Amino acid sequence: MKASKVADTCVTYIILLAVCFIFFFPCLWLILASFSKSGSIYSFEGFFPSAYSLDTFKTLFTDTAMYNYPRWFRNTLFIAVMSCLVGTFLTILTAYTMSRFQFKARKTMMKTTLLLGMFPSFMGMIAVYIIMTQFGLINNMWGLILIYSANAPMGYLTQKGFFDTIPSSIDEAARIDGATNFQVFTRINLPISMPIIVYTTLTSFTFPWSDFILPKLLLKEKDLYTVAVGLMSLGDTEFARFAAGAVFIAVPIVILYFCLVKFMVNGMTAGAVKG
Amino acid sequence: MKKKITALVLSGVLCAGLLSGCGGDSGQGGGRSGEGTGQAGGEASAGANTGGVDLSNIFSGELEQNVTIRVLENDTAIEQGYFRELIDAFNAKYADYGIVAVDANMDQYSNLADDGPYGYGPDVLYQANDVLMKYVEGKHIYPVPAESLECFSQIPENAWNAYKATVNGVQYYMGVPVNVQSSMLYYRKDLLPEDWETTWDKNGNQVPDMVENWNDMYRYSREIVAKNDGHYGYMRSLYDVYFSSGFLFSYGGYVFGDNNTNADDLGFSAGNAEIGANVLLQQAALMNEGCIDDSITVSAYSKLADGTYFATMTTPDVYTLFLKELRLAYQAQGMSEEEAGALAKENLVITEIPKLPASGDLTEENPELIPLKAMGGVNGYAISAYTKSPNACLAFVEFAAGYEMMLRRNEMLGIVPARSDVADAVGGVSEIMYHNLDAGNIVVMPSIRAVEQIWTPGQTFFEDLAKDAFRPEAEKKYKTLDDIKNGLASVDVQIYDAVHTLAGTN
Amino acid sequence: MCLMGLGQLMYGQVGKGLLYLAVLALGIAYFIFRGGADLAGLFTLGTREADTWLGIEGDNSVVMLLMGILAVIALLLLAAVHVSNVRDARETQKLLERGGRPATFQEDAKQLLDRKFYKTVLFLPILGVCVFNILPIVFMIAIAFTNYGGSIVPPKLVDWVGLDNFVQITTLSQFAPTFGRILGWNLLWAVCSTALNYFAGLGLALLLNKDCVKGKVFWRSFPILAYAVPGFITLLGFKFMFSYGGPINQLITAAGHRAIGFLDIDAKWIARLIGLGVNAWVSIPSIMLLATGILSNRDMTLLEAAKIDGATPWQQFRRITLPFVLFSTTPVLLGQFIGNFNNFGVFYFLRGGLYIDGYFLASDTDLLINWLYNLSISNNYYNIGAAISLVIFLITSLISLVIYTRSASYKEEDTFR
Repeated sequence: MKASKVADTCVTYIILLAVCFIFFFPCLWLILASFSKSGSIYSFEGFFPSAYSLDTFKTLFTDTAMYNYPRWFRNTLFIAVMSCLVGTFLTILTAYTMSRFQFKARKTMMKTTLLLGMFPSFMGMIAVYIIMTQFGLINNMWGLILIYSANAPMGYLTQKGFFDTIPSSIDEAARIDGATNFQVFTRINLPISMPIIVYTTLTSFTFPWSDFILPKLLLKEKDLYTVAVGLMSLGDTEFARFAAGAVFIAVPIVILYFCLVKFMVNGMTAGAVKG
Repeated sequence: MKKKITALVLSGVLCAGLLSGCGGDSGQGGGRSGEGTGQAGGEASAGANTGGVDLSNIFSGELEQNVTIRVLENDTAIEQGYFRELIDAFNAKYADYGIVAVDANMDQYSNLADDGPYGYGPDVLYQANDVLMKYVEGKHIYPVPAESLECFSQIPENAWNAYKATVNGVQYYMGVPVNVQSSMLYYRKDLLPEDWETTWDKNGNQVPDMVENWNDMYRYSREIVAKNDGHYGYMRSLYDVYFSSGFLFSYGGYVFGDNNTNADDLGFSAGNAEIGANVLLQQAALMNEGCIDDSITVSAYSKLADGTYFATMTTPDVYTLFLKELRLAYQAQGMSEEEAGALAKENLVITEIPKLPASGDLTEENPELIPLKAMGGVNGYAISAYTKSPNACLAFVEFAAGYEMMLRRNEMLGIVPARSDVADAVGGVSEIMYHNLDAGNIVVMPSIRAVEQIWTPGQTFFEDLAKDAFRPEAEKKYKTLDDIKNGLASVDVQIYDAVHTLAGTN
Repeated sequence: MCLMGLGQLMYGQVGKGLLYLAVLALGIAYFIFRGGADLAGLFTLGTREADTWLGIEGDNSVVMLLMGILAVIALLLLAAVHVSNVRDARETQKLLERGGRPATFQEDAKQLLDRKFYKTVLFLPILGVCVFNILPIVFMIAIAFTNYGGSIVPPKLVDWVGLDNFVQITTLSQFAPTFGRILGWNLLWAVCSTALNYFAGLGLALLLNKDCVKGKVFWRSFPILAYAVPGFITLLGFKFMFSYGGPINQLITAAGHRAIGFLDIDAKWIARLIGLGVNAWVSIPSIMLLATGILSNRDMTLLEAAKIDGATPWQQFRRITLPFVLFSTTPVLLGQFIGNFNNFGVFYFLRGGLYIDGYFLASDTDLLINWLYNLSISNNYYNIGAAISLVIFLITSLISLVIYTRSASYKEEDTFR
């Protein structure tokens, strides 16, 4: 029994190491490339640069005449944080409602959302652009926030799947004690649902954070560029700067992950509420 | 995840500049501009003809007072500080009228057809001729009274032709040419054989033979490769239609018929184009697999600098990038920045592209030589039709296209001016290219919309051709000239299909 | 009853009555000032062509189409409010007949936080989805029945053409063979990549959930790192990595071998496999994240009971964990399938710009959506693009709707409650 357990642990760690290598190696490559001294990726021998320096990061943040990375970063942060807050709120509420309430249009709505998500949204972009011109929201970061937030609830089915696994007996007990639906949601279900809320927060932050299309479409002024658009506008030989920008763009998401991760796994202490 | 996927889908959409507009000439439009160029040979009569638009209704000649005009320039001009200088000089001159030119602060490739109608576009745009001419059909840009401009007589007819359009039977100039763009040869002078003056200068003109004709370039490349120490001679990614199609043009190929205006007539396989393609095939054999995809294109800057490549072919506007890489390479060897900069400037040579053998055989000795007709473009200024102050815009364009600003532009950006007086004054590359344009050795990119469809089929063919040099003997696809001809013919079919298959309902 | 809110006012429900009245007034004002013209514009799609040179500010057909659709949606909403108004009044009437007392405004408002909480909550999301999701989709469907595209883009006037676009697609003889080939590969791709991503993501989450793994946060951060890099950067990076001048080929040539064309013109299956791998790299972290969240909600008592009964880990997984996870992630699985079916980015970035022999304007790694892009978008034939999307949509939606409505997640929503 004990030997098999040790073997099991070993195998687990070997697989883990392999997986981590697969995921980490391309990232490491990007990170080291961003510290490359020459700035051109073709001076590398094999995967990695031959000499390192901090220069690229220095230029990334100080040489802002043409490529104003700090500004892009601030813009992106603003857009992503606002859309994340509003989007997460709307998504969780929608998912919860669709999971807990029984009303006539419910099943139709579920099927409809599934179908809507399936449309190849190529063409829809023309419409979105025209809507925004009519609302006068071109060159306006709030326009983007509006779209991201409005589209966020479309993904509610995932969260609903989670809420479906929370026993309704808890709700009923609370309702017998005289709690309104609103209270049941905020006081009881919300705390249990931390893992899925964290997941939602992460995804609804990441999407605006790394989106390229909508900002490109709606923000024409260079001062309003987001990091993704800005990076795409970099010149041919700016690879190290590109890599540096791409590495730095990942930092907030990693930080966010480390802040939220503890809620992720112990949202519901195993089996405690069940029963 | 789903969202991320959607995002990618859309990124593709954007790349194509999907949004409403994107007008450009249709197949019919192509036919009409066909007439236009027909006329272009004769008298170009821009303006107030019967049936046409009287330009004096648009450009009254009376400058608007106290207006701001937003100018879209290209990134290099802004980065190198030229644009700042330009608008400062302009603003100082027109301070009395209160006219202020500012940076439109937009993407240099932004599409006026998307932005203009909704009021977000710039007033004056600097873009390539094929891009600017796409705006004509939707009348997103104003015609310019070119003949009344100071620069009119200084700019060669071939450059003006790129900006001529016929609307309702009347011919107009749609912009003002500023800069000629085409292929040039870049090479490292210090990588020439030491005794080149005696062994590689048969005609004794003090120019190494290998940069004068492709046969000697081939011979020299073979010598370098034969040493087998990882160094190469001439290197260039061959998939790129912009650079590779010139070899087809030199032997009778063309893109569209009727001077690049008839999208029904595809000419990649016309004449003896297969001979040109065979030249590329011979060149590929002396390169590495990097010529199949874009590897050489993107790595050329540093590989030329570290001496791995002896020469490459690209446009003159990236000269500063090559120079910078070479300087850095020298600095890495321990030179001071100043020293390295000077040495780089001396050793990096940019010159006219070599001549081709009429036979297409790169191994032939003392061949009869013909010029390489390279694809090129003419960048210039156009005035948005959505501007509130067309006269001020015209004043700006005239100012920017004037002798002094063009000269300054050349000095700061290294671009090739479209003005003959400037080209003559600065000499060198500019003069060469200017005269190539004048002599018709630069095939200006077609200005009809169908040109968007030539890239993928062309790219596929050139990639296949380059790959063939590295296929094992038994798997080779292009063994004879006939094979190549058939390959080019299928490129023509693909382009035709891409242009016409879906045009039915329109 | 024809005037909205009148009924409520009559029964003394002043607040509610005024609200209904206000909605009606707003609606009428909208239709007088804007909506009416928009509605008419939907039929004509513009009558006056713009000409900037002559200073004619004409009609923009595309804007008119969109605003027309918006007006129709507004009309439908108004109708819905009217129906609810009539129903409400009738219920109040019945209540009165039974001797009840009509609810006060405050009571109604309270209801909205309790029994009708869902109405309060769903109002904003539905509004947002209508404007930014449904409206564009309806717009796109409408485009499939117009001649918008090619040379007919504003300022040219667009017209309705009925089914012409569909007739054109079906009569093109080059279409059928390519369509068949691409559809086959597309289905294979969608199935393989969905299975790979889903099970690898789930497996990773389970692996990291094992008791013997110490430092879970640390281990988990590696996939997160991959997740944190924007998708397009990842794809560009991988494309470079596998290119002829990329690091992999550098190592191969340095070792004295011939460079390998991972993504070049002859690389059909290698390129497909690389696409599969790269897509997995991009997708697995988010699935892992989700699965981790869901697994934390597992009923551990069941598992422990199973352990005591001597079930092997595999049995535990098969019988308890998998059904649970499958149940709560069916929508995700479906979303993944659809997302992969319509995965434009992977092959566009990795191996774009190729037309292979035997395919009509497509390459052998292209999915239907890439082909659609080649055919329509890069040509600006929006109408054809919309028509083909509609056809693809009908196929995919039928498949997924059948799967979804038969899944436990849809039919037995309270299995695990």
